[in-house]
Amino acid sequence: MEYFSYLMATGISTGALYALVALGIVVIYKSTQVVNFAHGEMFMLGGYLGYTFHVMLGWPYLLSFLLAVGAGFVLGLAVDRVAFRPLMQRQTMVSVLLAMIGLSFVLKGVARWLWGGKGDYLSFPPLVSPTPISFGGIMVMSQQLVVLGAACLVMAAFAVFFKFTRAGRFMQATADNPKAAKLVGLRTDRVYMYTFAVGSAVAAAAAVLMAPLTLLYPDIGFALFIKAFAAAVLGGLTSIPGAVVGGFLIGIIEQLAAGYIHSSLQEVAAFVVIMLVLTFIPTGLFGQRRLRKV
Amino acid sequence: MKSTRIIASLATAGVIGFALAAGPVRAQDAQTQGISSNEIRIGAYGPFAGPVYMYGKLAMNGVEAVFDKVNEAGGVHGRKLVLVREDDNCKPEGAIGAVKKLAYDAKVFAIIGGACSNSTLASVPELEKSGIPMVVNSAVADAISDPVRKNIYTTMITSSVESRAQVDYALAKGAKKIAVVRMTDAWAMARWNPLEAYLKAKGITLVEDLELGVDANDATPQALKLKASGADAVILVLYPKPAAVLIRDSLKIGGNPLWVGQTAINDFTAFNKQVGVPGALARFATITSTAYQPTDPEMKDWAERLKKLFPNDELSTFNMNGIGSAQVLVEGLERAGKDLTRDKFLAAMGTIKNFNVDAYAGPITCDSPKSHQCNQAPGWLVLEDGKVVREK
Amino acid sequence: MRHLVGKRAFIVALFGALLLAPSVTNQYQTFVANLILLYIILSLGLNLLIGFAGQLALSNAAMYGIGAYGTGLMMAHFGFPYWAAAPCGALLAMGLGTLLALPALRLSGIYLALATLAFAQFTYWVMTHWTDVTFGAGGFVPPRIDFSPLPVNQEQGIYYLSWILALLLYVVARRAMESPVGRAFVAIRDGEVAAQSLGIDLLRYKSLAFAMSGFYAGVAGALYCGLLGFVGPESFDLLQMILHKGAVVLGGMGSVVGSVIGGTLLTVLVEITKEAKFSIEIAFGGLLVVFVLFQPSGLIVFIRKWLPGWDERLHYVPPGTAPPVQAARTAAAEGDD
Repeated sequence: MEYFSYLMATGISTGALYALVALGIVVIYKSTQVVNFAHGEMFMLGGYLGYTFHVMLGWPYLLSFLLAVGAGFVLGLAVDRVAFRPLMQRQTMVSVLLAMIGLSFVLKGVARWLWGGKGDYLSFPPLVSPTPISFGGIMVMSQQLVVLGAACLVMAAFAVFFKFTRAGRFMQATADNPKAAKLVGLRTDRVYMYTFAVGSAVAAAAAVLMAPLTLLYPDIGFALFIKAFAAAVLGGLTSIPGAVVGGFLIGIIEQLAAGYIHSSLQEVAAFVVIMLVLTFIPTGLFGQRRLRKV
Repeated sequence: MKSTRIIASLATAGVIGFALAAGPVRAQDAQTQGISSNEIRIGAYGPFAGPVYMYGKLAMNGVEAVFDKVNEAGGVHGRKLVLVREDDNCKPEGAIGAVKKLAYDAKVFAIIGGACSNSTLASVPELEKSGIPMVVNSAVADAISDPVRKNIYTTMITSSVESRAQVDYALAKGAKKIAVVRMTDAWAMARWNPLEAYLKAKGITLVEDLELGVDANDATPQALKLKASGADAVILVLYPKPAAVLIRDSLKIGGNPLWVGQTAINDFTAFNKQVGVPGALARFATITSTAYQPTDPEMKDWAERLKKLFPNDELSTFNMNGIGSAQVLVEGLERAGKDLTRDKFLAAMGTIKNFNVDAYAGPITCDSPKSHQCNQAPGWLVLEDGKVVREK
Repeated sequence: MRHLVGKRAFIVALFGALLLAPSVTNQYQTFVANLILLYIILSLGLNLLIGFAGQLALSNAAMYGIGAYGTGLMMAHFGFPYWAAAPCGALLAMGLGTLLALPALRLSGIYLALATLAFAQFTYWVMTHWTDVTFGAGGFVPPRIDFSPLPVNQEQGIYYLSWILALLLYVVARRAMESPVGRAFVAIRDGEVAAQSLGIDLLRYKSLAFAMSGFYAGVAGALYCGLLGFVGPESFDLLQMILHKGAVVLGGMGSVVGSVIGGTLLTVLVEITKEAKFSIEIAFGGLLVVFVLFQPSGLIVFIRKWLPGWDERLHYVPPGTAPPVQAARTAAAEGDD
């Protein structure tokens, strides 16, 4: 029982991170019908920027967190302007995806060039004391609780934003029906821009939260993207609550598979989930089955 | 008609080309390529970027520091040493391509380097075929230098030596229940195979044999299993990052066995930071191929010279691997004499016995033709009163 | 004039030069020339799938690997000679590639891309972990290849074999795309439902597209096994996939001769990037982005503008006339107005 609880505890806290990143993916997808392949790299850059602010420049954690989130926002704006908008106007889906893949490699290479000289894996000092605390008989690292709490806060804030603010409703409208949104006078290209920016900011937040738990390296973007994508697909690419549920599920599945079946499965659980879900329930658990019109 | 004409011309070209290619070997004296009246060109390959770039780029920086010092004193028999670097991306095709490029295109005299075990191992057939002398300084796989090949020497402690040392250390510290946590890539397999064999030879059964991915951010399942098994010594066949994650997660659940590391984890200070839990390394020991830590006073000269050449670098153990191996290379060149050829150099390397270099823990002995593994002396590093010291 | 600068002349000149290469270049440059031939084959195969049939699959590098592993393992485990092992490798890649057609029937666009990517990662995991069969992460050295009774050693034999296969596969691709098969592919790319209503069997043609590209990649893999004399999983990772995509985008999606140009140029560019010690990731990621932004139809469009004799039967529709992404033609499932 203890064994199981430990696995669950870790699964929930890593799941919260996957949920955050998946959230960004789903939000961007809902608005733009494109999965941002470079989302993992935005996460990675957010983390590195947080590192720069907090470790290299020595500024306090909270400030660095906010700055990194802000920087993530700006990065999202930039990516939208420079890469995404021109692509959307001219190209087919295949081309857009290819370009986003290319962009993810460029961002990774840039991160390696800028920060790679410092060593392979950068360590990030924890926000709170690293000694584990007891939580109902299980030891958890306080940072894990911080991550979980912060992630839930971000998700809640996001839900509020989406449902109750004007900007959020604009995004929803554009996602549901871009042409109608345009007709009603919404500046859809602006909405896309902010969607990207918000998605990127959420990813940056996730990164700075996660950085003390793990170590930063340039390839972390893709590794996380695959898992977050698995989460998004499991939950349903069109469903925001689905992304959250999917994230937690993937985190838990990974831990249980590694703990009970074989430790090598930790790496591959996400891929198997993707393949199974896409083969048998392509719309995921909560996604809507959209009609194909010709 | 058009097609037949095309086919005919292509066929003719083919025959001509083939005849030329299969013709007599072009006059190329491989024995002295890369040597001019005032220069000896030495090649190097390894990763310039990526997670293991320290074994490539940083080691090469160390080599250049030695070359710089030697050149300041007039070079080897009046010839200055020049390093030609190639990036192998830590991949087999990269290494094979790098060897081909260095041997046939850049035409260097010898190669020093080889960082990633997997890629270096893949390049061995090409090295043998070209006959170019090779001094391996970072890759640890035994198969690179064993069986003995005429033109390949290694100055890095090999995996089998380290794996055996890890088991012996655990036993010496009184461990009764030994467990292993390992990665599954080529580097780890090169260590695991001799480790497994040695355990069998000693009649030891592991209480746990676990895998951990090199990219793992979490090792809770592994930590839980280790605790459940009651292991009192855990042999780590891991890179620093997964090892840090494992130790951290184990401490979280209250497991604290003896952790036995190896040369991949030899930068204590950095590792301590990566684990991030104070006091975590109280029961951690690791192997070092180098005699000193980068901050020791004995290394001050090298630290300064390195800083002069590469202002962004801080002296690290990876540089020191480069320094040690380069010193051995230079010794071989010196002994070969002014009339330098490949064969003479290789023979000279084989005569090196009990040679002390600044960086390595023990004396270098290349026992040619029995063994081309010149460095058999692992040292152990532990934390004592917060300071990293070599255990006696 | 057409005959001097047209497509045919270019192919003759290129293949002629490649044929002569081993006799005039040093061993390293010959190695690079051999890589050019391999990337021509890879690019041809991938273009059939992505450029002509419009199926965005990210599994090509995995197919490449399966071809190499299939060939090498047949030689290492069962002692097959190369001429028997290589077809095994190619056919294995073809078979597994065809299996991917099944999810392709239900998925498209990003879903297909990620399903095939998951498959590719899974293949990598198998290569690394199924140690009993695949020798694990360290890879393995297959036995030397004996080309007797032909008077060539392994290097020369693989080179000329690559040359013959590249030329052959180019002709096959060209003929196929000029036939009804090509037209069916393009119909599927441009509108699946419309294609179905014209009586085009999606399963048959999608399977064919996956099978062909799997076969091409498998052949290239078999040759790669012989070229390197080593097979290991790291050669078949994401970076490899980016290079394949780059070759297709560079030359021109939906153009057979464009694939040849793309494959050749890509290899040359990789060499230049390595020489300049510049980051391959930034270079080729950037290449993809720039080309997709400005000229996704590849260099072939420029060439067509300035030189006669480069027309191909199935022209790729220039991007300016493509409808915006919201009404994308190959969408998984989306609402529309």
